[in-house]
Amino acid sequence: MRKILVLLSMSVVWCAVSAQNTFVLSGKITDEKNKELPGAAIVVSPGEKGVVSDARGNYRIDGITEGKYQVRVSFIGYREFTDSVQVSSNTTFNCKLKFVPLNLQEVVVTDNYAETRKKEETLNVEVVNDDFLRQNAGGSLMKSLERLPGVSTIDIGSGHSKPVIRGLGFNRVVVVENGVKHEGQQWGADHGLEIDQYSVDNVEVIKGPASLMFGSDAVGGVIDIKQYHLPAEHSINGMVNLVGKTNNNLLGTSVEVAGRKDWFFARLQATVLDYGDYKVPADSVDIYSYRVPLYKNHLRNTAGYERNWHLSFGIVKPRFQSRFFASNISSKSGFFANAHGLEPRNVDTELHDKSKRDILYPFQQVDHFKLVNKSWWKMGKATFNADLGFQRNFRQEKSNYTSHGYMPPVFPDTMSFAADLEREFDKYVYSGTLKASLEQNTQTTYTAGVSSEYQENRIDGRGFIIPAFQQFTLGGFLVAKHSFSEKSLLQFGLRFDYGTIKTEAYYDWFSSPTENGNAYLQRAQDLDRSFSNVSWSAGYSYSPEHWLLKVNVGKSFRMPIAKELAANGVNYHHFSYEVGNPDLSAEVSYQLDGGVEYHSQKLTVGITPFLNYFPNYIYLNPTSEHDRLYGNGNQVYIYQQSEVFRLGGELHAHYQLLKSLQIGVIGEYVYSEQLSGEKKGFTLPFSPPASAIINLKYRKEKFLFFQHAYTSVDYRLTAAQNNIVPPEETTDAYQTVNLGMGGEVKIRQQNLKLSLQVQNLFNTRYFSHTSYYRLINLPESGRNFILNVSIPFSGEIK
Amino acid sequence: MKTQNKILLLLMLAVTAFACSETDDKDDQKPVISMSGTEVFPNNCDTLYFGEAFTFRIHFSDNQELGSFSIAMHNNFDHHSHSTEVTECVFGPVKTAVNAFTFIEDYPIPEGDKEYEVNMSVEIPSGEGTTPFDEGDYHFFISLTDKAGWSTQKGLSIKILHR
Repeated sequence: MRKILVLLSMSVVWCAVSAQNTFVLSGKITDEKNKELPGAAIVVSPGEKGVVSDARGNYRIDGITEGKYQVRVSFIGYREFTDSVQVSSNTTFNCKLKFVPLNLQEVVVTDNYAETRKKEETLNVEVVNDDFLRQNAGGSLMKSLERLPGVSTIDIGSGHSKPVIRGLGFNRVVVVENGVKHEGQQWGADHGLEIDQYSVDNVEVIKGPASLMFGSDAVGGVIDIKQYHLPAEHSINGMVNLVGKTNNNLLGTSVEVAGRKDWFFARLQATVLDYGDYKVPADSVDIYSYRVPLYKNHLRNTAGYERNWHLSFGIVKPRFQSRFFASNISSKSGFFANAHGLEPRNVDTELHDKSKRDILYPFQQVDHFKLVNKSWWKMGKATFNADLGFQRNFRQEKSNYTSHGYMPPVFPDTMSFAADLEREFDKYVYSGTLKASLEQNTQTTYTAGVSSEYQENRIDGRGFIIPAFQQFTLGGFLVAKHSFSEKSLLQFGLRFDYGTIKTEAYYDWFSSPTENGNAYLQRAQDLDRSFSNVSWSAGYSYSPEHWLLKVNVGKSFRMPIAKELAANGVNYHHFSYEVGNPDLSAEVSYQLDGGVEYHSQKLTVGITPFLNYFPNYIYLNPTSEHDRLYGNGNQVYIYQQSEVFRLGGELHAHYQLLKSLQIGVIGEYVYSEQLSGEKKGFTLPFSPPASAIINLKYRKEKFLFFQHAYTSVDYRLTAAQNNIVPPEETTDAYQTVNLGMGGEVKIRQQNLKLSLQVQNLFNTRYFSHTSYYRLINLPESGRNFILNVSIPFSGEIK
Repeated sequence: MKTQNKILLLLMLAVTAFACSETDDKDDQKPVISMSGTEVFPNNCDTLYFGEAFTFRIHFSDNQELGSFSIAMHNNFDHHSHSTEVTECVFGPVKTAVNAFTFIEDYPIPEGDKEYEVNMSVEIPSGEGTTPFDEGDYHFFISLTDKAGWSTQKGLSIKILHR
């Protein structure tokens, strides 16, 4: 179905060209029973011209010059049909597609889809499907996407990571799932993104300022996740996924079942993952001068589990669709026991080393519930979209009570929270986007919309970092797309946003010795701020045969978050006393993006450079001060703003050495510099070092008893990161090798998809500059064999 | 192709501009807390006494300019905290605090100093009112910053006893 959506929008781009000596190829697509098939994709090559059939199954491709063409007709749930057609006048080509009850995963997002998305977006986009995710599966969705140029991650342990796009992460990257912005605790480095990677079938990564469509926070880019797999009519199908990993002894399974009558479909999926402590290629790690011996190379207490379920159902009609997505992602995972953050801890090794799979203190527990409705309907030339969502993110961090600073040595039994509850965040999010697109004529499309979000955040626990707060945003936007020809597209958009944030006063639950005797310190004030911003974007994309050229300039923004405005507490995980700045302005970013890609039968080469300027980047500045009373003797970190300049880009190239052998190179680089403020001359925190992947991939349609067999080798080179800012450490360069292989096996009537990966083949000991554990010298995972088996099944519903 | 050339030109300009401005002398080194030398006190596993003053002696240095420092003492009766030092100390048995001693103070370092010798007397009271402080395992924490915001921490395991 996503194909249809995309191709529908694509058909807007491909407008009529009334040149002379060209002809029209038209016809009707039906099924075997002569039922009209709207939304089938028709692609003509050479030239790769494509359209989708309309509501009556009719299609029309203009501007075809005389010659012989391959026509490829595809539609989800039907066998693809290919034939050659001689065009020497206006030609009619009708086609009947044969129904096949297919498996969910057989719906392949072709390269064509990715290509099309790239052409219709003036920003740089990466598109991947579930095959990519399976073949490159890491410990979490983001870890799997890290292979994409310009994408990196901030990690904690083996199962959690956060997205970073071109060096920007946390609240500067928006994650969207089924049209609704994912809201967790994006600001924290010690927890991950609550997305089940086994439920994802398509991900688009937009690199660059995307506030225009996504509002506040989309400064660095967007990770747009879609679950659009739809079973064919009158079919039931599903998949059993089994996964195993040797490094952290992960065992997991994800089972999905989906069925569809005529216009009603439903889908259910459950995922269970269980993993033990992960192994590193080291006998000991150095936390400051203190050497922690590791038991059998295991990082103590990094085990965890995930329990997820998803339910979706809805109505699918040619001109109307409404889908509901309900899901709950639940995880529990331990923190490395010998340090809680940066603080070295004494460990009862006997207790911890007894089992590699138990989760002891300190640990975190996260529950993310989400309910989304995504609907669209078409009326004449207009399309209306509504994306509505409710989310609850509930996160707890638990550890043995430790009296820090002036906290009482013994936890009083009169408190409303338990002694082991270090922090609790409870967030309720209501969001909605309404959008209308008008296809003015074949060349011009207008899209207008409003989006709004309301957040209610509560806190609990003995440690205070951010106050409770409520946040409201409302934005309206208008985007115009105009195609001068099928090759050239101009896009312009304007957006206005308004937002408020109210933080609640907070007092310590224990008293501290002030100059006027003992008192309960007030950490946060009642604060009420509002922000407004105009963002815009203009881009041009030109795609003559073999080439794709893009330029885009845009302004994006981000409202300061509660932590930046009102933090006032000690982060014992970092030995820092973090202080918010209530006077911060909304962060603004201007970015110029370019993209040049050449592609021919054998060769693809592309570069995507960018220049970026922030007049007022918000960052947590470590000062030279210490604070006794509020900071318990810790170093003072204050949120400040500075001018920042960044530049960088990605490079990708693929060359078909032989029919079945491809060599590829992917590289990325980001340079950042603060141009003003106390850290003038320094870079930004968590700057990813330059890196490259050299890849060899061998594909064969049939190899022994495998079909669609592949083998691939990734040689990953990462440069040293010596450009750092306090409190970071420089990180050495490293090289790792990853292997991947797989294919499909048919046992009787049953298909099996197998993929095997070997990550860090040579068990190299290295540090990742963007790991949360970098500051205490924890190396990354050692060698890891990952086996994924997918067993699709299907049947018919009468 | 024009677009491409423009981009390339812009990129090259930017790269050149940055290559030329690489001459800044930003501080890239952490300050140093020197624990070596016989003058340093306390050392890991040393003992202090309630109701007495001890002389805190340590040497700080930085490549450009020191910032400030703080010291903190808190109980480690539950053995939660590990020192940042190589040596392991012998802990007393785990126990529950009744009236544990807490000390936190921050201190400035004169502006412009690259080296700073701490030699100051710190008084440890013997109790709060008439209740004596709990004796046993304590943690002695030193934090040092430089002007640029780099920091270094030292955590020592000590004992504070009643004489």
